Amino acid sequence: MKPIYKNYFRKNKNADPILETIENVAVFENLSQKELYEIVRLTHQRDYKKDESIFKKNAPAEGMYVLLDGAVDIFEPDSNTILTTFKSGDFFGELALIDEEPRMASAIATESSKLIGFFRTDLLTLMKRSPELGNVILMNISRILGERLRKTNEELTKNN
Amino acid sequence: MNYVQKIYKLLLFVLVGIVSLEILPLILPIMAMLIFAFLFTTIFLQPADYLERHIKSRALGVILILVSTIALTITFLGTFISNLGFQIKTFTKKIQKEEFSSNVESLFASMKNNLPDFLSNLIPESEKLISIAKSSMINIFQNILSLLSSAGNLLFITIMILIFTIILLVEYHDFKRSLVWFLPNKYLEVGLRVIYNIEQQISKYLRGQILAASSVAILSIIGLFTLNQLGANVTLVVFIGIIAGLANLIPMVGPFIGMIPAIMIALMNNVGSEIALNHQILGVLPSPFYILDIILMFIIVQQIDNNFITPIVVGDSVGLHPMVVMLVLLLGGTLLGPLGMLFAIPAAGVIKVIINEMIFLNKNSHLL
Repeated sequence: MKPIYKNYFRKNKNADPILETIENVAVFENLSQKELYEIVRLTHQRDYKKDESIFKKNAPAEGMYVLLDGAVDIFEPDSNTILTTFKSGDFFGELALIDEEPRMASAIATESSKLIGFFRTDLLTLMKRSPELGNVILMNISRILGERLRKTNEELTKNN
Repeated sequence: MNYVQKIYKLLLFVLVGIVSLEILPLILPIMAMLIFAFLFTTIFLQPADYLERHIKSRALGVILILVSTIALTITFLGTFISNLGFQIKTFTKKIQKEEFSSNVESLFASMKNNLPDFLSNLIPESEKLISIAKSSMINIFQNILSLLSSAGNLLFITIMILIFTIILLVEYHDFKRSLVWFLPNKYLEVGLRVIYNIEQQISKYLRGQILAASSVAILSIIGLFTLNQLGANVTLVVFIGIIAGLANLIPMVGPFIGMIPAIMIALMNNVGSEIALNHQILGVLPSPFYILDIILMFIIVQQIDNNFITPIVVGDSVGLHPMVVMLVLLLGGTLLGPLGMLFAIPAAGVIKVIINEMIFLNKNSHLL
């Protein structure tokens, strides 16, 4: 039953599902609630049907996606091998925020999914309007890339 | 599809066409206001982002920018109008005197002497000349007065554009996000790129134009000061410089429009002066009332701007071929007059970006 009275003046900080999801995304670590809200205002929420393509291999890459709800497969279209599967709360494509290289694999929604897109143009706008916030995000991306590089090195050393 | 459906669709199409034709004239002024508001938004977007970064409030930043711009414009226009009023008053006093008639007469007599015979025959007799000169002067002032009388309507339009600009500036980034919301998933990333490129194109063009206009204004002021040192007696130098700078925003035709106020004021101030009437450039080229000096000065300013300043500060801002620029200008001028000329180049730049992206999309359609 719906309450007949609601205090409209008390803001429920975690009422926004996007805010709830992105505060756990590594790219947006070390940000205050207010800063996270600034990010939410820049993101684009999109709904994808089952089997709808999110991006294709070699397509120009513009930014990253955070999966709010549903599932996404990243696959290699030539060999038709699934590289990884993402669930709610996961993010992918963050490399496109800093370089302009085309996508390295394809992404497809395996069930009806809700995604939020955060693109290079949004990051550029943010860096103009609030450079400190932009710097924190760039630092976070650098940390993620560093971590990946370390892991790749470890894998290479193991294989050799 | 059966015939009934076809006829129904055709009727619907005709109806929508008629309704939109009826509504279009009503919407057109609002559309024009929105376009102006959008242009002002693009000009002030970077300062607004800058202020937001420093004072942490976008709304306050926007208000600060607009209040200072309005204050500057009002101060400029106020001082200019009062000065021009004084100038016109002094000139009308001069015109009433007999000196004016004798001046016009001697000016054309000297022109007749200096011109070859076949051209001098084209100049009418002195009595006719005086009446033509007087009536054309009166016409110019009447036009200025009618311009002022339409100031009421202009005020309303200005306020509306101001309101639209404030809303667009404050909500710009949210507005852009809402626009992206309408894009299908397939075109999301490409659409974002197109919007960003268009934005960059317009802001680059506008910034370049503002820089070029400022340089023309400053150079014209310096040029007019130099001419005054040589005895040209041109007043309202700063205003003439600013007008020349603003006129420079219209490519190709603008520079000539910029000369007119300077020539008019030189004429007004020097009527009655024998020295000004018989002035010669370097003692060789006759230049009555310093008119030729002024034209030469503006041509030099244009050359400096076109060959040194614009290539450095603006660069190849839109990247259109000069021939295309000329055609686009003609088209804009024919369709919408001076306003069309002002908007023709940025509009062509936007179309160019869209065409480039469409070619890119066409080539890479398999990737979408």
